[in-house]
Amino acid sequence: MNGALLDKIGPQTLRILALTVALTAVVLFFAGQIDNYLTGRMFNRLSSSVAIMALIAAGQTLVILTRNIDLSVGSAVGLTAFLTGSLITAHPDMPPALLIAFAVGCGAVLGVVNGLLVAYARIPAIIVTLATLALFRSVLVETAAGTSISAANLPAWLTSFPNADLFAVGDLQLRAGFVTAVAVIAAAHVAMARVRPLRRIYAVGSNPEAAEMAGINLRATVFLAFVLSGALAGLAGFMFLARFGNITVVAGLGFELKSVAAAVLGGVAIFGGVGLVLGAFIGALLVDIIDLSLVRWHLISEFWREAVLGALILAAVTTDALVMRRLNRIRNRRKARAMAARGGAIGGAL
Amino acid sequence: MWRVFLSAMSPVSHTASAPVLSLRGVSKHFGMTHALSEMTLDIFPGEVHAVVGENGAGKSTMIKIMTGIHAPSGGEVWIDGAAAVVNGPQEARRLGITAMYQEPMVFPDLDVAENIFISSTAEGWLHRPRDLHRRAEALLARIGMEVDVGELASQLTLAEQQAVEIARALSQNVRVLIMDEPTAALSAHEAALLRAVARRLASEGVAVIYISHRLEEIFEIATRVTVIRDGRHISTRPIQETATETMIAEMVNPLRGRHRLPQGQVFDSERDTHAVSSQTHAGRSKEEAGGEPLLKIENLGREARFRGVGFSLRRGEILCMAGLIGARRTDVALAIFGIAPADQGRIWFDGKRFAPRSARAAMEAGIAYITEDRRKLGLALPRSLRENITLATLDAFLAPFGMIDKARETEGAERLRGELNIRAPDVETQVGMLSGGNQQKTLLAKWLDRKPKLLIFDEPTRGIDVGAKAEVHELIRRFAAEGGAALVISSDLPEVLAMGDRILVMREGQVAGIVDRQEATQESIMTLATGAAEPIASDTEKAQ
Repeated sequence: MNGALLDKIGPQTLRILALTVALTAVVLFFAGQIDNYLTGRMFNRLSSSVAIMALIAAGQTLVILTRNIDLSVGSAVGLTAFLTGSLITAHPDMPPALLIAFAVGCGAVLGVVNGLLVAYARIPAIIVTLATLALFRSVLVETAAGTSISAANLPAWLTSFPNADLFAVGDLQLRAGFVTAVAVIAAAHVAMARVRPLRRIYAVGSNPEAAEMAGINLRATVFLAFVLSGALAGLAGFMFLARFGNITVVAGLGFELKSVAAAVLGGVAIFGGVGLVLGAFIGALLVDIIDLSLVRWHLISEFWREAVLGALILAAVTTDALVMRRLNRIRNRRKARAMAARGGAIGGAL
Repeated sequence: MWRVFLSAMSPVSHTASAPVLSLRGVSKHFGMTHALSEMTLDIFPGEVHAVVGENGAGKSTMIKIMTGIHAPSGGEVWIDGAAAVVNGPQEARRLGITAMYQEPMVFPDLDVAENIFISSTAEGWLHRPRDLHRRAEALLARIGMEVDVGELASQLTLAEQQAVEIARALSQNVRVLIMDEPTAALSAHEAALLRAVARRLASEGVAVIYISHRLEEIFEIATRVTVIRDGRHISTRPIQETATETMIAEMVNPLRGRHRLPQGQVFDSERDTHAVSSQTHAGRSKEEAGGEPLLKIENLGREARFRGVGFSLRRGEILCMAGLIGARRTDVALAIFGIAPADQGRIWFDGKRFAPRSARAAMEAGIAYITEDRRKLGLALPRSLRENITLATLDAFLAPFGMIDKARETEGAERLRGELNIRAPDVETQVGMLSGGNQQKTLLAKWLDRKPKLLIFDEPTRGIDVGAKAEVHELIRRFAAEGGAALVISSDLPEVLAMGDRILVMREGQVAGIVDRQEATQESIMTLATGAAEPIASDTEKAQ
């Protein structure tokens, strides 16, 4: 391991590089195991699925960064998709921008509920969002009252939007849904690096006590993270509606676990303060690739898919922890040596 | 903003100034407890105003009122000659009042520059790393600290983290900087640097409120000293007009009579106090001289931590370990206690080869280790005194079927509470509610009850008040007098000189020297610890 290189690329960049390597390895592994794997069709399926999961994982990342968790995202996606679907079914002439705004706003309102309870009523996030996971789903079941949204009743622009290919090479299509999601993820990633109120999300997760003492508004920051997570889940709800068209009461079921898995695989520290939206995006790619590939991998029966996914998550996180610990040790040793050479920890300007 | 700030920081004359911050008859009660009563205090720009008092005297409450964490129950806070309402730390910072504590409040996952500017309200919406790095460098240079501004705060030493905190305060145009025990966890060298920074800020017109248990450092830096006791203002004097004895006499309530030692023995005359008990030590040392040492260590090492460590410790002896932060004293202790086992060298304990692989193995052999971080690693703060004291000896209170005999447990806890003079209403009191000194005695009670042969005590009196400090010292001496061996790690030089029969000085993971107490001075220990000179003739060399 070249130490000088280590000094230049920070631990975060390193993690992204490592994730990219892992992603390539997984793809190559399945390419060796499954016939006709590296095809345009596979990419199209993956990109359509990731377009939804990546948005949820990005929101989940913001919340995890503040040392909290949002287990209600799956229900939020389902509820938003259903409400948005009902609205457009009733008013087919609605402008698209308004519909998207409705979906995002709808998700944000659900985020406000979580945020108020966690940040201001000071109830642990795991309790609050476990409760709202059930609550939002119940609201969906109650609102649906046995009905479901059908693709046949949706305007054509909506259902054709995610699959519209902007650019195609043979089978491989760059679809509008995926491009939109990637654009949103990129914007979120840059915003988390460059917008000061969002930087405070890192500060709060890194050391809440210090944040309070430093005069950062702790509650507002945690609240903001939940609202943004809700808004992103709302956007994911819109994408879900557009992709599937048929929305039943089970829409988005289980997304909360997949989004947490994506964030954690993507290097977001479950104890807060560390992680990148880009990492969560790669994490979402990994989760979806593994999920889609296992379906086609004949060695693994249908019943073991979940188990394999779980085992892979554990393996990835364990390797990650071990490798990162080792790299940090190398960094620290180099730093100690540099410090000894400089003659002490603190300079002598006094 | 930046330039305005620089000119605001230029030196001002202290003579013609009005108080920047005043407490006018401020009281604070929590339920029936009066934490502060009628406190009146003026803080002037350019002064280093030391505030001393025992733990529980009301210092923390006073800070919390000044920084807006608590609202006063009565009285007024004045800023620049007018009554003000300070609504929380955010508002306090805006008004130029900042507090920093023994544990630096940094964000481990953010880099140094962002740590400094994260809460600044004058930055706009965009985060501009390069700009921040440049300005952070300038700020740190001003306080004479050399820190890589791109480094994550988690990679910094404690002293560097404090520098970051001071730079953060500076960036927000600090006018009153409250330093609460800032040097308690620092090595002597780092503490001296920090005091120099405090003085420099004062010379630039900042009012520094300096809270410390180390009276000798107050004489070094303070311009005025305020003594508070039981939430009341006792005195405020220019430093030239007071003396250690006066301060201690004012800090200790004569009516309370809880301090077993006469006040004069508590602080700077500690060495004299110890001269009495050291006679008994000397006698015992002779008796034991022929006997095997209880603990003997040869060439002990752990990769990247320490190496070549060797010393021996007899029954009845107190060996103090001195050294700067980063000298790896705690690592040696953890190796002996089995938590982070050594990978080189040998240990003999009680006449046998000893290579503990876990704390349990060390405990069973008769070793107790009391951590330097009592709040995180030592005590279950939300649990009761009883539960904390008996945690290490629960087996003694077992009833049939593995249940705990609570009556006997309570009795045992009560006995220890009495023996160690832990001040708590009863043994069901939450340990988190006790003062630092009483928490430390609780920890000591927990381990002494196991009747260890060797007691390793890491920073026994860090952040505890003068009275409790004397009591902890006395308990360690009593333990040694009864035949136990004590290894005391301490960064407090007067304490090391007062307690240790011998003093082992470590530097950068190695033994720099072992000095007999009769030969040791603060200067000789610091010389060894900083490596300012070649090690002087010592036990190590004689032994080799």
